[in-house]
Amino acid sequence: MSKQNPSYTNPKPCKHLADYKLRHGLNGFKTLQNCLKTTPYGRTSVSKHKSETPRCSLCFGYQGRLYFCLICSSITCSSHANEHSQSHHGHEIAVDVERAELYCCVCRDQVYDPDFDRAVVSKHFMDMPSNVNGVEGVVEESNKRRRLGLGLELEWKRSKRLISMADRRAKSIFPLGLRGLNNLGNTCFMNSVLQALFHAPPLRNYFLSDRHNRQSCRRRSSDRLCLPCDIDVIFSAVFSGDRTPYSPARFLYSWWQHSENLASYEQQDAHEFFISMLDQIHVKEGKSGNQDKDNRDCQCIAHKAFSGLLRSDVTCTTCGFTSTTYDPCVDISLNLDMSFCPSTGMTNRTTKPNENAIISTLLGCLDLFTRPEKLGPDQKLYCQNCQERRNSLKQMSIRRLPIVLCLHIKRFEHSTIRKMSRKIDQYLQFPFSLDMTPYLSSSIVRNRFGNRIFTFEGDESETCTEFEVFAVVTHSGMLESGHYVTYVRVRNRWYKCDDAWITEVDEGVVRASQCYLMYYVQKGFYYKASEDLSCLPMSPPGGESYLPIAGCC
Amino acid sequence: MSMFLKIYKKQFSCYQMRPSVNRPPTPDARLDREKEPSVLEIINIKLIESGEKERLMELLRERLIECGWKDEMKALCRAFVKKKGRNNVTVDDLVHVIMPKGRASIPDSVKAELLQRIRTFLVSAAV
Repeated sequence: MSKQNPSYTNPKPCKHLADYKLRHGLNGFKTLQNCLKTTPYGRTSVSKHKSETPRCSLCFGYQGRLYFCLICSSITCSSHANEHSQSHHGHEIAVDVERAELYCCVCRDQVYDPDFDRAVVSKHFMDMPSNVNGVEGVVEESNKRRRLGLGLELEWKRSKRLISMADRRAKSIFPLGLRGLNNLGNTCFMNSVLQALFHAPPLRNYFLSDRHNRQSCRRRSSDRLCLPCDIDVIFSAVFSGDRTPYSPARFLYSWWQHSENLASYEQQDAHEFFISMLDQIHVKEGKSGNQDKDNRDCQCIAHKAFSGLLRSDVTCTTCGFTSTTYDPCVDISLNLDMSFCPSTGMTNRTTKPNENAIISTLLGCLDLFTRPEKLGPDQKLYCQNCQERRNSLKQMSIRRLPIVLCLHIKRFEHSTIRKMSRKIDQYLQFPFSLDMTPYLSSSIVRNRFGNRIFTFEGDESETCTEFEVFAVVTHSGMLESGHYVTYVRVRNRWYKCDDAWITEVDEGVVRASQCYLMYYVQKGFYYKASEDLSCLPMSPPGGESYLPIAGCC
Repeated sequence: MSMFLKIYKKQFSCYQMRPSVNRPPTPDARLDREKEPSVLEIINIKLIESGEKERLMELLRERLIECGWKDEMKALCRAFVKKKGRNNVTVDDLVHVIMPKGRASIPDSVKAELLQRIRTFLVSAAV
C-alpha cells in the first residue's frame, strides 16, 4: 500500500483536459498568470480587469461560480459554461474565477493538473515579498531516520531474549508489564505517567534491552544521581513477572533530587511530571550543552521517542509576507474544542453553549490547533516587509511527527477577571486509531492555496502518519484535588492501572473516561510491540477475563 | 404607502438611481441592454472596487468555520458522495445539493454581523 496520501496523488485527467494539455501545453497556464490576483490569505483569483465585476457573457449574472475560458477568456456562469463549450469547439477547460481552480465545461466537474497548480502557486510566491525563512523548508530527511528504525529493531530482538528468561513463577494470566504501583502519598500523578511509559514501545525496548546499564553508568560517572538508572530499576521490577504491587520509593526520591521545587507530598500535575522526567533523562543522557534547534540528532531515549517538530507560520495580513519558525516539542498541548454540536446543528455564538449539547472530539481539538488564528489588535507583530507592526495571522502545523505522540488536553481555564482557575470537565471523544496527515505542515500549507495537486517541500511520505493509542491518563476531581488513573492497551485489551490495582476493563470504559494525557505510537511500533511478549499466554479461552490484582498498601 | 406616493416615487426613482461610479468601457454585448443596474449590483460594484468585498469574504469564511458550518457542509458532501459513489459526483452536483441547506443554516449572528459591516461601509462610501 502506498504510504503517500491518496488524495494528493494525481487523479486521472478527463479526456478534455488531456486534449487541452496535448494541444496547448503550458502556454495557457503561463499567460493566465498575468490575470491572477493573490491575497495575503493565500487565495488566488482570476482578475483580468482590476475592480471590474466579472459577469457571465450569456446572462450577465455575477452571482455564484463563474468560469474563465482558457482559450478565449470569456466568462460564463455554471449554468452556461456548458453552452459555451458547445458553441465554441475546443473551449472546454476553464478556470473558476474566484478560486483559480480548473473546471471542465463538458464534464461539469472540477479537474486537477499539477502543472496548473504549480503555475498558480508560483504566481503566489512571485507576488509575495521575498521570503527568507519561507517555504524553503528544513534540511531534507537524511539516512539517519532509516538508521534509527533499524537500531530500534535490533533492540527489541535483544529484549525478546531477556524477557523469555523472565520469572515464570507468575501465576497471573495478564501479559507482562502490568504491575501495580503503590501510592506513596499523593503520588498517583507519578504512577499514572509511569504506567503509560512502561508501554511506550521505544522506551520499553530501550530499558529492557539493557541499553542503560547500571553498572557501567555507575563506573562512568561519579554523580550517584541518575534518573535513567532508577527508571531501569522500575522497568526490571515491573517486567519481572512478580505481580505484587511495587513501591517506587527510590525513583520518587531520585526525582525529588532533580526537581527540588516539586519535592513535596502535595498533589502535582501529571503532565508537568512527564515533562520533567523527559528533561532529566535528556540532561543525563543527551548531548550535554547542545542547544541545536532540532532535537532530532539528540541520542537520548527521551528525545528519540518523543521529539517532534512544530512549524509556526505568521502571515502579515497586509502584504502576505510569511515568516516561518520551527520549534522542537515533546508533546502537543491542545485546547478543548467547544464549538461543534452535531445533533442540533451549529452552536449560535450569541447563545451560551450548553455543555450537554456539545461533543468535543480530539480531531476537533487538532483542527483548532492547526486553524489560522487572527492575532488580536493588541498582538500586532512586526512585519519585515512592511517594516512596521501589522495585524497578523498565525498558523501551527506539525513538520515532523515523533514516534510516540503525547497529546495533552488543557483542562484548566484561567479567568483573569475572577483571578481564579477552574477545571474543564467537558467530555472529549477520542479515536483509538489516529491519522495525523491533515495536521502535517505539508497538508496545512498546501490547503492554504486552495484545492491543489502539489507536492510541497518534501512531503514526509517516509514517516508513518497512522497512530494507535496505547495509554490514556485520566483525571477525576477538581483542579486542586483529584485522582489520576491510567488505562493501558496491551495486545488490544485494556487494563486499568489505579495505583496498586490493575484490572482488565472493557474498551467502552476507556472511551467514556475523561482523558487528560493521551499517548499514541506509530502504528508499526504498536503492532511490533504486540508480537513480542507473546511468550506468555493470554487469558484461557472462555475463562474469566477479569482478574483483579489487588495489593494492600 | 398610498397609491399616489407609490407612483410619485416610481416616477422620480429613475433620476435617483443613476449610477455615479466610473466604470471601464462596457464590452459590446452590453450596449444591447437598456436595463439600468439594480441597487444590488451597484453595491456589489462598490464593494469590489474598494476591496471591501474581499475583506468581508475573509471574515465570512472565518465565522463559518468557527461556528461549525463548514464542517456540517463537509459532512453533507461526504454523505452524498458515499451514497452516489465517488466517481459519479461532480462539483456541480455537490453545489446543487448543499446550496439550499447551506443557505438556510447560516447562523443569524453571522448574517447580522455582515449586514452591519456592509451598512457601515455604505455610509462611509456615500460621504
